Amino acid sequence: MAQSAARMEEVSLRIEVNERPVSLSVEPRMTLLELLRERFDLTGAKPACERGECGACTVLLDDQPINACLVLAVQAAGRRIVTIEGLSERPDFQPLLDAFVSRDAGQCGYCTPGFAVAAYALLKGEPHAGDASVRWGLVGHICRCNAYDGIVAAVRDAGARMRRP
Amino acid sequence: MEGALHTIGRSETRLALADKVRGAVRYTADLKRPDMVHGKILRCPHPHARIAALDTLAAERSPGVHAVLTYRDVSQARIDADLLVLDPVLRFVGDEVAVVAAESAALAEDALAAIRVEYELLPAVFDAEEALRPGAPAVHPGGNLVGERSLVVSRGDADAGFREAARVFEGMFRTQVHAPVGMETRAALAEWEGDRLTVWKTSRSVHANDRAMLARVFGVPLERVRVICPAMGGGFGNKDEGRIAALAAWLALKARRPVRIEYGRSEEFIAGRNRQSSVNRLRVGMKADGTPMAIELRSVMDAGAYVASGRNVVRRIGQGPLYLYACPNVRFEGIPVYTNRPAGGSFRGLGAPLGHFALEVLMDEAAAALGMDPLDYRLRFHVRQEGQPGRRVTPRDQPLPDEPVEGGVPFSSNGLGACLLAGAERIGWRERRRPPGSATGALRRGIGMAMGIYKGGVGREAQAVVGITREGRVAVSVGVVDVGQGSATILAQIAAEVLQVPLRQVDVTLADTARTPPGHITAGSSTTFSSGSAVKLAAETARNRLRERVAALLGATDVVLENGRFRVPGNEGAGMSLAEAMRRVPEEVVGRAVLTVGSSDFIVNSFAAHFAEVEVDVASGRIRVIRYVAAQDSGRIVNPRLAESQVSGGVLQFLAIALREELYLDRPSGVTLNPSFLEHKSTAIVDFPPVEVIFAGDPDPVGPFGAKALGEPPVVPVLAAIANAVANATGAWLHEVPFTPSRVLEAIRAQESAP
Repeated sequence: MAQSAARMEEVSLRIEVNERPVSLSVEPRMTLLELLRERFDLTGAKPACERGECGACTVLLDDQPINACLVLAVQAAGRRIVTIEGLSERPDFQPLLDAFVSRDAGQCGYCTPGFAVAAYALLKGEPHAGDASVRWGLVGHICRCNAYDGIVAAVRDAGARMRRP
Repeated sequence: MEGALHTIGRSETRLALADKVRGAVRYTADLKRPDMVHGKILRCPHPHARIAALDTLAAERSPGVHAVLTYRDVSQARIDADLLVLDPVLRFVGDEVAVVAAESAALAEDALAAIRVEYELLPAVFDAEEALRPGAPAVHPGGNLVGERSLVVSRGDADAGFREAARVFEGMFRTQVHAPVGMETRAALAEWEGDRLTVWKTSRSVHANDRAMLARVFGVPLERVRVICPAMGGGFGNKDEGRIAALAAWLALKARRPVRIEYGRSEEFIAGRNRQSSVNRLRVGMKADGTPMAIELRSVMDAGAYVASGRNVVRRIGQGPLYLYACPNVRFEGIPVYTNRPAGGSFRGLGAPLGHFALEVLMDEAAAALGMDPLDYRLRFHVRQEGQPGRRVTPRDQPLPDEPVEGGVPFSSNGLGACLLAGAERIGWRERRRPPGSATGALRRGIGMAMGIYKGGVGREAQAVVGITREGRVAVSVGVVDVGQGSATILAQIAAEVLQVPLRQVDVTLADTARTPPGHITAGSSTTFSSGSAVKLAAETARNRLRERVAALLGATDVVLENGRFRVPGNEGAGMSLAEAMRRVPEEVVGRAVLTVGSSDFIVNSFAAHFAEVEVDVASGRIRVIRYVAAQDSGRIVNPRLAESQVSGGVLQFLAIALREELYLDRPSGVTLNPSFLEHKSTAIVDFPPVEVIFAGDPDPVGPFGAKALGEPPVVPVLAAIANAVANATGAWLHEVPFTPSRVLEAIRAQESAP
């Protein structure tokens, strides 16, 4: 039996993960989601659909929310990645965190980091988002516990708090 | 000695939710162990086949591979009565053929492609009624009728009841196959240290199912197997009943390394355990005034390739028809059948939503035919506090089942009438509802309703350990799993209530066979009731032990615990806080409880009445849900906010099942055509209005602090409530779930052309 893996030829790249610059080499077939989870042990972004349908793996790539399962690690070369773990350190994320907790906007919690990352980006772009904008803004996210009513209420609350000086 | 409740009934925030939001909670597939390798499963491309030849040599030599297993490499031990660890016979497209462990998931997949299998193709059957015919291909030895006979339960004499009936209503009702699919797919990580096995797994039952199964399969004593569910990314009654734990453990044994397997999304859809389809023939006989005299249901359920909990599922199809309306004569026949479809299993509500769909739609039709308002009909004939007519069968000193058939036994509490009134008022039934089919125009609105009855949570043996540490913290240890429903928070609230401490002072340990006492499976909406009762008793035991010691310290004959302080009755100056008491007693105080809560006097059930308003586009057949009101009787609500989340989540989950969710199977290939979230069309955030939740029950005299089951009851009436609202809008009752636009149009056409 083979003793070690004969790997595909690896590619070198530099990326910034949660404000930390890193150089590393990866197999070209590795997704950004696999990279974050396996090499950085950042497991807040979850694998759930593997094809961009559910949003559980959402991270910020140059401040834009993206499905990390649909981006190859090599495509992230030279770009800034912020995961839920990085976002959680930011003071301007706290209103959203508090609102998710007070509105019970997560049950099993598996999809919750993805929703939280997307909601943060949504409120940055549209701080006055009403319920309909929140729902359509998060339409790429699936929650099988169907905590949707709590999530919409939480984003609404957080928007109101983030607008306050 | 209890004063006013201080935490029971309060919307405490969900434990660990902040960590979940921050991505800090680790689920099974987030875990890594030193030297861990990755397992992947080769799945059968045929609906029914026998392995004729196998060659795994190339796979074994594939880069990074540490182990390859087929049926030839594992024992013939059974995971379940009809399920081997690996089997030379494959029974559905997606059945497990072989497994590989390699240094990465990608390398494991490369190796799977190198396994050569020659299949002998066997005839397959995809329809339950066809599978029952003589000469149909046998999915298992012993034939396709699971257990070789159908399940029959009855009360009174249904035939006699029909003879007395002035009117008989009947209908055929069909429900679909669909997938529970939690956001987290099934996963297991297995590690051996010598002959000791540790498995981290997506599990609802680390003790009763996984640990016992693994010990049996590997022939090791129970105490050498440890099973942990680190966190569960969605349960919904699902996630067990398969091979993944045994396969991970077997791979780890052969690879001599920890092995983690996690399903991909399409694997979860196909080889997870799905909701079984059913065909239900229902007959109801009534007196001229509508009094039910006989109810008879015959249900044929397609169990798929392996039955798992299918017998319980089919039994629960019968419960609504057997017990929701006061009726002296009832008969239910449940027929679970093997086919070569992907295996069915356990999902939220088991068969209850299916049986309630048939019953509550037919009762709505009957009320209309009798010229009665369906709310008035239900207010008049629903089962009351005193229970069903007839004779008690359970001996007087024996606990009553919570899925009863017998009459002559009262409920511990029955808030069905209160649910009906509260829900009707909220939706504006009296003011706003119009006669069925009276709406006109292209977009027609209607209001409909349905009731539900469900197990209240009794009957599972539960254990709990509650300790008070020297620092004054309360440590609760229970073997059940928080699958996302919030049981950790609820059990903590129960302990905090007894010991009069703030919730933040309670630490909860669940779902680890090494750190918790044996626990029941997290199923049947039983955790609050059964394990909650055990936590309450264990906490009371700990409190009483501490009381004795504090009394000794204070030189008093007795002390009481109130508002976090031990007080000496009659001597208001004396006393001490719980924290001070713990500093002064010599060691931790521990209470243990083992009990099976039941009642030999009462049936404990939960109830619901749901009201829906819909708008039907009669040109396209599309249904839009305008409002949804769910009124629940689950006794005292331990935590209103978490309970609302449960009800709202359950209703929203089932609205998509009502309208569109279905797994489609190609025939004769047996291939599942739509194993993805978007193609299976689960509920999305833009689909439905917020659910309006009402709790209308009174505290139950049997349940802990008056609580009854809540997890599944909110899903039970949803299918029928929507069908009846559509009927109010269009005059046509739907008899097949999901209510797709084409079925809606077909029903409207059939109704218009009826004489």
